[in-house]
Amino acid sequence: ERAAVQKAIIRVIPLKVEPIVLEGEFASVAEVTPAEGKLLQSHPLSLCNTSEDEHTESGFITIVKLEQPDRDPNPCLSLANKAKLAGERGARAILFDITDDESAADQLRKPRGLSQPVVLIRGHDAELLMGVVNKNREAHVKIEVKEPPAWPDYD
Amino acid sequence: RLDANLISVVPERSFEGLLSLRHLWLDDNALTEIPVRALNRLPALQAMTLALNRIWHIPDYAFQNLSSLVVLHLHNNRIQHLGANGFDGLHNLETLDLNYNELLEFPGAIRTLGRLQELGFHNNNIKAIPENAFVGNPLLQTIHFYDNPIQFVGQSAFQYLPKLHTLSLNGATDIREFPDLKGTTSLEVLTLTRAGIRLLPRAVCQQLPNLRVLELSHNKIEDLPSFHRCQRLQELGLQHNRIQEIGADTFVQLLALRSIDLSWNDLHFIHPDAFVTLRSLTKLDLSDNRLAALPLGGLGGLTHLKLQGNPELSEPFAKDSFPNMRVLEVPYAYQCCTYGSCGGFFRASNQWEAEGASPEDEDPHRRALELFPGHADNHYDLEADDLQMDLEDSKLHPTIQCTPSPGPFKPCDHLFE
Amino acid sequence: VHPNVSQGCQGGCATCSDYNGCLSCKPRLFFVLERIGMKQRGVCLSSCPSGYYGTRYPDINKCAKCKADCDTCFTRNFCTKCKSGFYLHSGKCLEKCPDGLEANNHTMECASIVH
Repeated sequence: ERAAVQKAIIRVIPLKVEPIVLEGEFASVAEVTPAEGKLLQSHPLSLCNTSEDEHTESGFITIVKLEQPDRDPNPCLSLANKAKLAGERGARAILFDITDDESAADQLRKPRGLSQPVVLIRGHDAELLMGVVNKNREAHVKIEVKEPPAWPDYD
Repeated sequence: RLDANLISVVPERSFEGLLSLRHLWLDDNALTEIPVRALNRLPALQAMTLALNRIWHIPDYAFQNLSSLVVLHLHNNRIQHLGANGFDGLHNLETLDLNYNELLEFPGAIRTLGRLQELGFHNNNIKAIPENAFVGNPLLQTIHFYDNPIQFVGQSAFQYLPKLHTLSLNGATDIREFPDLKGTTSLEVLTLTRAGIRLLPRAVCQQLPNLRVLELSHNKIEDLPSFHRCQRLQELGLQHNRIQEIGADTFVQLLALRSIDLSWNDLHFIHPDAFVTLRSLTKLDLSDNRLAALPLGGLGGLTHLKLQGNPELSEPFAKDSFPNMRVLEVPYAYQCCTYGSCGGFFRASNQWEAEGASPEDEDPHRRALELFPGHADNHYDLEADDLQMDLEDSKLHPTIQCTPSPGPFKPCDHLFE
Repeated sequence: VHPNVSQGCQGGCATCSDYNGCLSCKPRLFFVLERIGMKQRGVCLSSCPSGYYGTRYPDINKCAKCKADCDTCFTRNFCTKCKSGFYLHSGKCLEKCPDGLEANNHTMECASIVH
């Protein structure tokens, strides 16, 4: 029985600009749990064992814009391990913009019990989020678990 | 720097007179041989890379005059053969990178490298690591040799390496016995998976007092010794073995132990006192065993507990047994109902849900207004430090992820009462 | 051309995109990750910037950081020029030279004692 997709509410609060509320979905590679922190973009190639990220502060939320698969034919790590590495480097949650790589959803479906939540975002919501990134303005992000629709009591 | 050219030969006198040359880059060229004669005239050379060439062998005495060399990179070549005296003369070498080559045998020539600290020979074709393999390298701190078809490892191969921190061996199916790690006392991470180990020595922790992570999954272990001398142990991976019982002293006094994975074993009995002293334990995986009961003593701090795959474990748990629980996987859906209404376990403030609207047809601009009605002028002015909310005191109370989640066909009533 | 792929890849990129900058470099160039505020972009350079060292691999040449006490290095563990206040000895940056060697404050290196 395939677990229902657990939706996420993503509240993005840029400095001095009105916040926006987006929707994504939790990937079951990680726990479904709320998280919040400062938004920080990471290049897909920064999440490799041979690369390090100069950012030393922890407590941030990483956004990674995934490119089309054919543009990175042999990735250094699987997406699950990239998410794990981001968590080890201090990310409280990892957001993947999968607009250009829908296959990412399948790669991140197998439960691995990662402690930091992994949220997938696509389409218009992703565009709004990357718009904030592009303006390079500091922003705080809050990820909440959206309540699944209540099911009626069956006798 | 001579890197990234098309050099295929280095004439003997190329470096004549360069008595002070310290750093040489010859990587990413077309060399098929080590330029032995040319390298004979560089007494001050300390660091050299010959990586990304087409070198296929290292002859005896190839680097015999490079007594000052500290770093030697040979990765991404085609090295198949290495002379028994190939590294003679490299008295000061500390880093040797042989990764991504075609070595068929363990590079025994390293025995003369008394100051070696970093060794890499991952991604080669080596099938065995012999007895006393590193007897000549007491200063080794890291050895990377993954992605080799290693089947056999000598019982004494990793002895007397007092500075080694990490040792990982995966898939060496010929290993029958746990290695003798006498004198390798600084080991913190030991990974020995997919081998054929049946027995763990009683004194395993006496040899490894600094062990933090012990990963022994996919072996044939039936009985466990007491790990009580592994006082710094934090993570213990024993999944996919044949363990049947956990005694009172198996994990006694392991005050730093945070996570135990015992899934996919034959567990039918756990002593009531097995976990009582584990005050740091937060993750316990007992899924896919033969348990009928779970002793709760010492499990109050758990945030993750996995029990599915134990069909006889049918009792529901009291709500206060696990006050910190976040992820709970249990054999039956009704065992999830203990944690509040079965309608939904995830709390989130959801205006539009109440109004029956769905977010897709919602304009983000209007969503923002609803969330912050107090700012009539819609100008939301937040200083940076207002934003920094400490997660621990956050109003976002953690949700409990309990599976299998009850549903229309998995009601909360205990059908078997 | 995909909307996200910028028309012309700048500075030696072989492939790139608007959000991530360079994704791969032209031959021989080194790939470097550059962080500016919240954003992180890939750039391609003919040699690594100061404080970084380059490692060539079959599929990509990468720059990575030297240690904190080192200005230029051959690998992360082998420094070739230390930051001020440190003496260089055999690829290491030391606050004090080992016994038997003397500190040369001109070259900022540890040297054999000349009798």
